[in-house]
Amino acid sequence: MWKFIVRRLLITLPQIVLLSILVFVMAQMMPGDALTGLIDPNIDPAAIEEQREKMGLNDPWYIQYGDWISSALQGDLGQSFRFKMPVTDLVEQRLINSFWLGLVTLIFTYIIAIPLGITSGRYNDTMRDQLITGYTYIGFATPLFIFALVMLWVGGFQLGWFPTGGSVAPGLEPGTFEYALSKFQHLLLPGLSMALITTVNTVQYLRSEIIDTKQKDFIVTARAKGASESRVYNRHILRNSLLPIAAYFGFEITGLIGGTVFIETIYSYPGMGLLFMDSVLQRDYSVVTAVVLLFGIASILGALLSDIILSLVDPRIRIK
Amino acid sequence: MRKTSWSKALLALLLVLLLALAACSGGSEEGEAEGDSGGSDSNKSEDSGKKLYSIDDFSAEKTNEGEAIDGGHLKFGLVTDTAFEGTLNWNFYSGTYDAEVIEWFDEPLLADDENFMYTQDGAATFETSEDGRVFTFTIRDNVNWHDGEPVTAEDWAFSYEVIGHPDYNGVRYGEDFTNVEGMEAYHNGEADSISGIEVVDEKTLKITYKEATPSLLTGGIWPYAMPKHIFEDIPVAKMAESPEVREHPIGFGPFKVETITPGESVVYTKNEDYWQGEPKLDKVTLSVINPTTVVQALETGKVDTVDSFPVDQYPDNAEMSNVEFLGQIDMAYTYIGFKLGTWDKEKKQVKPDPNMKMADVNLRKAMWHAVDNNAVGEQFYNGLRWNATTLIPPSHPEFHDSENPGLAYDPEKAKEILDEAGYEDVNGDGMRENPEGEELVINFASMSGGDTAEPLANYYIQSWKKVGLNVQLLDGRLQEFNTFYDRVGQNGDDDPKVDIFQGAWSVGNDVNPAGLYGRDAIFNFSRYASEENDKLIEEGISEASFDVEHRKEVYNEWQKLMVEEIPVFPTLYRSELVPVNNRVQNYSIAFEWSGLHEIAVTQEEPMKAE
Amino acid sequence: MANAHVDTAQTDTEVKTPSTWSIIWREIVRDKVALISLIFLVGTTGFVYGISMFLEQSEIVTVDLFAINEAPSEQFWLGTDYGGRDIFGQLIIGTRNSLSIGILVTLMTGVIGVVYGLVSGYYGGTVDNIMMRIVDFFLILPFLMIVIVFVAIVPKYSIWSFSLIMTAFLWMGIARLIRSKALQERELDYAQASKTLGTSNFKIMFTQVLPNLSSLIIVTMTLNLAANIGLESGLSFLGFGFPETTPSLGTLLGYARNPQTLEFHWWVWVPAAVLIFLLMLAVRNVGEALKRATDARQRRG
Repeated sequence: MWKFIVRRLLITLPQIVLLSILVFVMAQMMPGDALTGLIDPNIDPAAIEEQREKMGLNDPWYIQYGDWISSALQGDLGQSFRFKMPVTDLVEQRLINSFWLGLVTLIFTYIIAIPLGITSGRYNDTMRDQLITGYTYIGFATPLFIFALVMLWVGGFQLGWFPTGGSVAPGLEPGTFEYALSKFQHLLLPGLSMALITTVNTVQYLRSEIIDTKQKDFIVTARAKGASESRVYNRHILRNSLLPIAAYFGFEITGLIGGTVFIETIYSYPGMGLLFMDSVLQRDYSVVTAVVLLFGIASILGALLSDIILSLVDPRIRIK
Repeated sequence: MRKTSWSKALLALLLVLLLALAACSGGSEEGEAEGDSGGSDSNKSEDSGKKLYSIDDFSAEKTNEGEAIDGGHLKFGLVTDTAFEGTLNWNFYSGTYDAEVIEWFDEPLLADDENFMYTQDGAATFETSEDGRVFTFTIRDNVNWHDGEPVTAEDWAFSYEVIGHPDYNGVRYGEDFTNVEGMEAYHNGEADSISGIEVVDEKTLKITYKEATPSLLTGGIWPYAMPKHIFEDIPVAKMAESPEVREHPIGFGPFKVETITPGESVVYTKNEDYWQGEPKLDKVTLSVINPTTVVQALETGKVDTVDSFPVDQYPDNAEMSNVEFLGQIDMAYTYIGFKLGTWDKEKKQVKPDPNMKMADVNLRKAMWHAVDNNAVGEQFYNGLRWNATTLIPPSHPEFHDSENPGLAYDPEKAKEILDEAGYEDVNGDGMRENPEGEELVINFASMSGGDTAEPLANYYIQSWKKVGLNVQLLDGRLQEFNTFYDRVGQNGDDDPKVDIFQGAWSVGNDVNPAGLYGRDAIFNFSRYASEENDKLIEEGISEASFDVEHRKEVYNEWQKLMVEEIPVFPTLYRSELVPVNNRVQNYSIAFEWSGLHEIAVTQEEPMKAE
Repeated sequence: MANAHVDTAQTDTEVKTPSTWSIIWREIVRDKVALISLIFLVGTTGFVYGISMFLEQSEIVTVDLFAINEAPSEQFWLGTDYGGRDIFGQLIIGTRNSLSIGILVTLMTGVIGVVYGLVSGYYGGTVDNIMMRIVDFFLILPFLMIVIVFVAIVPKYSIWSFSLIMTAFLWMGIARLIRSKALQERELDYAQASKTLGTSNFKIMFTQVLPNLSSLIIVTMTLNLAANIGLESGLSFLGFGFPETTPSLGTLLGYARNPQTLEFHWWVWVPAAVLIFLLMLAVRNVGEALKRATDARQRRG
């Protein structure tokens, strides 16, 4: 088992290096660079050209890559051109925001998915199940950005129950109780909007797992032995159906730090998703590279975690 | 049993769906009745036009109603779908959103008037020498930084030293600096100080310029100081990322920065020691608002006003009861440009090429005649953008030649011109061939972004098709921002596939067209140059042009030349609208306005829409 | 589930295949909802592909300055958008384009994913390990960046090129799924027995293991099809959707990201939203029926 994990981690290394090279090559292929956005008659093109030269944007990619990797090995991921600050500081700020938003979303997702999935699976093809299934269909067909916008209009502005944007109320001192409370309040509406849409996958998955499990031999045996219906569900079916969901958890971790462009844009919430999209669109490559690598490492670790959980759940997928 | 429940479920789903639909349409009717009263009815009938607005009906100044209270807390919205960068210093910022944030707490030392000329009303006054090359500035005695230190001539000189420094990593080093004597030597590291800048005494600064031009008086001087006592010990390359810029910046403006939440919001408190007098407001909060929710934020009083309002949302919200819409002509225009040459990277100047596809002026003239920009302005923008005539927009009333009508929409004339110039349809496919009888396909590059970008580009293509010109969208689609400017030639590598392009320019304080249409301007994307043009541009910034009347004549000539030669033709002028809550007093969006300290409110909380 | 496959595997697959189809057919006919869904699907598909042969795409997307944002009327059954373009015509062509994309992407991801997953899972061990690391690599590729590069490079942004790029990012899910099932399958007696008898790996994979996974494949692909309709709406939100001259359900829906359109011009996006919903619903209903048909214990009647 440990050997397996170590080996998987070792394989990760070349993947990450390959990815970083790919990012640099693509950066070269993408039209424009960090300074293209400054086309403005008030700014002297010569000054832009000078900065371009200074930042090495005119060098071929392998030279830029060499510069980057040698400082990256010393823990320096470079400067963001757009924000004019070290990439590590910038990513840290955003990562914390995205982490909390992701966590709240995840909790909401499971709070919604588990009871709905269980009800739907246990009483399949009843009215209750139909309603829940109906909800999942609507969830599938509703685009997140429209839903989030309507939620904000209704919950934030018309009813005034929630704050309407940002990650914290302006003017609060970090570290105080009010600050933490305000942060939490700002997470509720975006987290809920996202969870209501993304949870439908988990509901569907749980439903079909339960339907599958309840026809398996061991359940039939348990029933035949006279176990009460609630005992059968709580003890046997639920445990077996939740395990695959747990295996999914590894992937959810990636989402946790990835953030989502849609939610973050609409709620003006400065997180990773927004940072990544802006950086790509504005060609702030030092940020792009750092974020892509961070995502890459996270999702490789997530996949590894999923595989480990799966192997614990299902001995047929043996880890050698 | 199961079957029936399934169909029941389907029925239930359909019901839910219908309800949702009803809710949607119900909501929208309500909204329309609210926001578009009268307009919605006429919208439905076919021929009656839609609601039209004119920028002349808007004022840049807020009308005051009621009695102002003491103190108060203004809520300001920054409309953007990204986070602001947080480089909060005039010498280092590059994004416009950062500028909006800085304006509240720091200001230029020189004020300007409605014609963008420097005045003696700012935090510093100035005197010019006989030959116009030497400026002597005197900073007023009561101008102090937020930490109590006086703003000195040293501080002003310091910003020149920082921006000119070889390690400087911003983009502000331009004409305003290179024109200072000794700046280039300092910039190249050959000198330790700038010979043209002299600190006479604590409050007096003397700057000597290499050349005297009228541009110096309209935005040609870098008017921002930088607190030397704070930045002195920070290396220039590290300044932009320092907490002194990002976390607790100071200035000498009417408000002080209290807290900053990176990328989201800033809280300011009043600067009691402000040189123009104590501000009336106690507190200002600036926060980022997404453009899709700006209307709701205004209606519910979450913000009093915003930096800019998406003009396309105006017609549906014109009747919002708790705000007054201020408006003025934007310093920008949209244009269509023709590729007339290439960029010579060696000589760093444009190289006109008479063999280009668009080289025939008659073809360009016909294309201008073929498009109906009044209709575009009215139908797409409800009159809030309108037909443009010359390349100096009316936002600069002194230099915009309102007598010059440009070229009017006249498709018949366009056809006539084309016929005469030999562009005829020889193979009978309905499309004109060039005078040599070869197929003429014109590739049109246009930028994506904004809802109307695509229908607008397609409308132009259709209009040209109507006069028999075969214009195709480059690659069949709009170009993303970076792609567009790369292909049009922001690096000098013009894509030969581009024949014509649609872009927009915002115009600086100074109307001098050299930066956009000069022979050595890389932003001269049409790569047009002529001796007449060179002469007029030079004349516009000559010493004779210190006389405004003379300068006006020169620029009228230049505007006329552009209408004759048509390297580009302007399509639309734009308006800028800003809603302001009714409780706010003494507010203005005029460019020359600098009365942030005068703003007052009549009640504690913003008014809400009924 | 695995047990069920064991008994099917013992009968000859070649005789079994037609009867699988007849079971499916019987199940669908029995399930009225699935039948209605199927008829709706076939009807809509036939209708949009048929009608759009007579519709001139370039005419529908012609900008009309004097008919901008008109509400539904006799002339424009479903109103017009902000370019004065008829929504009804766009809806028909858009549905055709979206269906084409959905089908293309589903088929391509299906074929790649099944073959890849089968090979990886069947061989297991080192082969599996390497192949799965390649999948991991695909999972970490920066989607947005690649799309931007792709859009900048391809000269024509067509349905085909769009489907290809989406396929490149969507085949991994099905590959992982099939691989995990194939891992289980190859441990089962029938596969082991075949192997001992000297049957070639290729033959075992494609004639014995694959048919046992067919139900899973059909169901997954049907459900994927449902998800792949309207796939491009997210991309148009980010500004990399199709040009508006190539309407699709996703772009029509994407217009709703403008708050004005969302609130005041419902006719632009609601029909597309409803249609996406109905198509997904129908595809899934058929998919569920298929699932039951292929799983003896859930079969009805």
